[in-house]
Amino acid sequence: MRTLTGLWRLVRLILRRDRIRLPVWVLGLAAVVIGSGASLVPLYPEQADIQQYVDLFGDNPALVAFAGPGYGFDDPNLGVILVNETQLWACIGIALMSIFLVNRHTRAEEDAERTEVLRSSIVGRHAPTAAAVVVVAAANIVFAALCGVAFVALGYGATGTIAYAAGLAGCGLVFTGLTAALAQLAGSSRATLGLATAVLGLAFVLRAVGDITGNVLRWLSPIGWAQGVRAYAGEQWWPVALCLAATLLAVAAAFWLATRRDLGSGILPQRPGPARAGMWARSPIGLAVRLQRATIVAWMAGLALMGGVYGSIGEDVEEMIEDNETFADVLAQLEGADVTDAFFATAVSMQAVLAAGFAISAALRIRSEEAAGRVEPILAGPVGRWRWAWSHLLVAAVGTVLVVAAGGVGVGASYAAVSGDASQVLRLTGAALATVPAVLVLAGVAVALFGASLRLALVAWAGLGVVVLVELFGELLRLPSWSRMVSPLHHVPGLPAEDLRAVPLLVLTAIAVALTAIGLARFRSRDLQVG
Amino acid sequence: MIRCSSLVKSFGSTRALDGLDLEVAPGEVHGFLGPNGAGKTVTMRIVLGLLRADAGEVTVLGGDPWRDAVSLHRRLAYVPGDTNLWPNLTGGEIIDVLGGLRGGLDDSRRATLVDRFDLDPRKKARTYSKGNRQKVALVAALASDAELLVLDEPTSGLDPLMEAVFQDCILDARAEGRTVLLSSHILAEVEKLCDRVTIIRQGATVQTGTLDELRHLTRTTVTAEVRESPEALGDLAGVHDLVVDGQRASFDVDSDHLDEAISRLAALGVTSLTSHPPTLEELFLRHYGDELADIGVAGTAGPDDGHP
Repeated sequence: MRTLTGLWRLVRLILRRDRIRLPVWVLGLAAVVIGSGASLVPLYPEQADIQQYVDLFGDNPALVAFAGPGYGFDDPNLGVILVNETQLWACIGIALMSIFLVNRHTRAEEDAERTEVLRSSIVGRHAPTAAAVVVVAAANIVFAALCGVAFVALGYGATGTIAYAAGLAGCGLVFTGLTAALAQLAGSSRATLGLATAVLGLAFVLRAVGDITGNVLRWLSPIGWAQGVRAYAGEQWWPVALCLAATLLAVAAAFWLATRRDLGSGILPQRPGPARAGMWARSPIGLAVRLQRATIVAWMAGLALMGGVYGSIGEDVEEMIEDNETFADVLAQLEGADVTDAFFATAVSMQAVLAAGFAISAALRIRSEEAAGRVEPILAGPVGRWRWAWSHLLVAAVGTVLVVAAGGVGVGASYAAVSGDASQVLRLTGAALATVPAVLVLAGVAVALFGASLRLALVAWAGLGVVVLVELFGELLRLPSWSRMVSPLHHVPGLPAEDLRAVPLLVLTAIAVALTAIGLARFRSRDLQVG
Repeated sequence: MIRCSSLVKSFGSTRALDGLDLEVAPGEVHGFLGPNGAGKTVTMRIVLGLLRADAGEVTVLGGDPWRDAVSLHRRLAYVPGDTNLWPNLTGGEIIDVLGGLRGGLDDSRRATLVDRFDLDPRKKARTYSKGNRQKVALVAALASDAELLVLDEPTSGLDPLMEAVFQDCILDARAEGRTVLLSSHILAEVEKLCDRVTIIRQGATVQTGTLDELRHLTRTTVTAEVRESPEALGDLAGVHDLVVDGQRASFDVDSDHLDEAISRLAALGVTSLTSHPPTLEELFLRHYGDELADIGVAGTAGPDDGHP
């Protein structure tokens, strides 16, 4: 295999470069998953408790969309709850890890023209891609093995645990191979990330629809394959083989595509662009819009699509409750709060977490522009730091509003379509927009950190990590209630299930503005930095 | 136009500038020389107000570059040494961005420059080579009507043909009465373009003056074949490193002794003669000789302490 010459040296190079990053990903993800698994044990000590969980959960489509098909609910054990509570999120986590790491070591390296240097030495054509796949595949397997060992130690059944871990690793492997192939197809590392996360989003949606309607769509999604092993519920192993086959196919496709293109280019064609800039080039804000518009539109489309899926389930939620006696009881206990609205409140808040990802990356555009040295030629012109920075931040803020609104319109329009109630569009869009101040607080944190230094600015992503932890896993991990206060989203009234309260929104907005002002003030008095 | 005195700038424990002086007079092309890591780029960034000096005085166009950055930048244009561009914009768009921010470029001048530099403005920046990226920055700067041009190794990555175009453009700019601060590693370029030169080393100015004064420091390398024995050349004042191989002699000679050496060669009966002017490398080798000796290098590289 001359095309793989130098593979092991490249593997060592990646391990050396990511000696911090890899353990942080693997151990961080494992800690959350294992912690969730551990917290379930004391929560459901008796079979009766387990049965109660299953009865509560039922086959409520709203919960199915955010959890899974609920295999084994007819004869439940603790492992079934473990799968239902953790598997979907673990799959998304491991897929994201695989996407980011593979892109970092394939297309991003190529964009930085480091692959060129490597390839000019005694290194085979496919060795860099293969090395990235080997390392990330190993990280997937280590993560799955850690979870498996811990679950067995916690007392979960051995066979089910092996199936659970194999499904996780399989899902991660598919996204590892897929990203390697997309890196060949796309024209840049940004495009690779965009395509790969879009595929992940699609995988989530396909399995959500498939799980709710019980149709074949779930088998089009690698996440569906991971869930299809039926861990703790009469295991079946062929989905693991399906994952491995898909991975091998994707890696083979990556190799094949790599022979069909030049280093540094993509398969998707590049057309010549305009020779002159439009009117947008006359101001920093025009430039900021031009630079960010494609990302904003892509995020709007993504969230609208996702919202569309949630909205389309809305009607089922109601029907399901009419059929389900247990749920009718629960509904009675909620003293009139509408379960459909509660479902939409959860959907809106999930979308807000995603939108926060957009908001932080859009706000940190000022960071990447500075780090890449692209701010220098701008500031060397008659544009001050203040004007340059707020231009980008204004675009980030407006973009956040648009992205959140698109998500809300998606939910609303699709629910309006299935329910025949057009007023839902405005109502649910409004509910989504109420999360904007909280999302902007997270972007404000990014700006405040950016004011201190470029390196520190990246800590803003840890802020999003905390919010995800608190919002999605807070209850499961039995975090103390004060910890939820940390998340700005926690302070947003849960529209449309709750009433609108203006004060928290105003306070959150004020905090976002203050954080931004602090960051910009510090940025104006510090040296420009590079890298 | 630019006056820096006793500039000091530290990054952590590294002292990048240590009492640097620089003075650029209106209408002149001023060469700014120094090995890698001497502090040229840091100085230019301070002049642009992108960095703030720890100590010392800076005046640019009569203002404080940190405080009055925006108003001063209306009157100057900058070309960085390593131009980073937005990968998804075309070269033409980027020229318009950089020009548009200063209120628009002269369209005919822009078109002429794009043509002269043979730049394809419809290509996305990610596909440009280093030389083409440099052209984008140069066109944007030269097409402006800035009275001061700050150019940080602007020809790095350009081919010799484009270097010649660049030199013509700078001579045009001087003829229009613009002032240029030009850092460069190419002595031939500096010799052709610059009225005065400042040489820095380890963050401090070691030499500043006109080119004649600079030439004073330099030697010309001569290789000749003569009919009689060339051994006697070694006795001449200003001749260094004479190597004799039969009828063939090669040596370095101080510029102010060149005349004598050539007369003596002629007397020996020259059959072939090549000479080349001092290269920057040779200048550096002379000027930084002790430093090179310290690190045990007698060859080509300038000292590099890792701060571009």
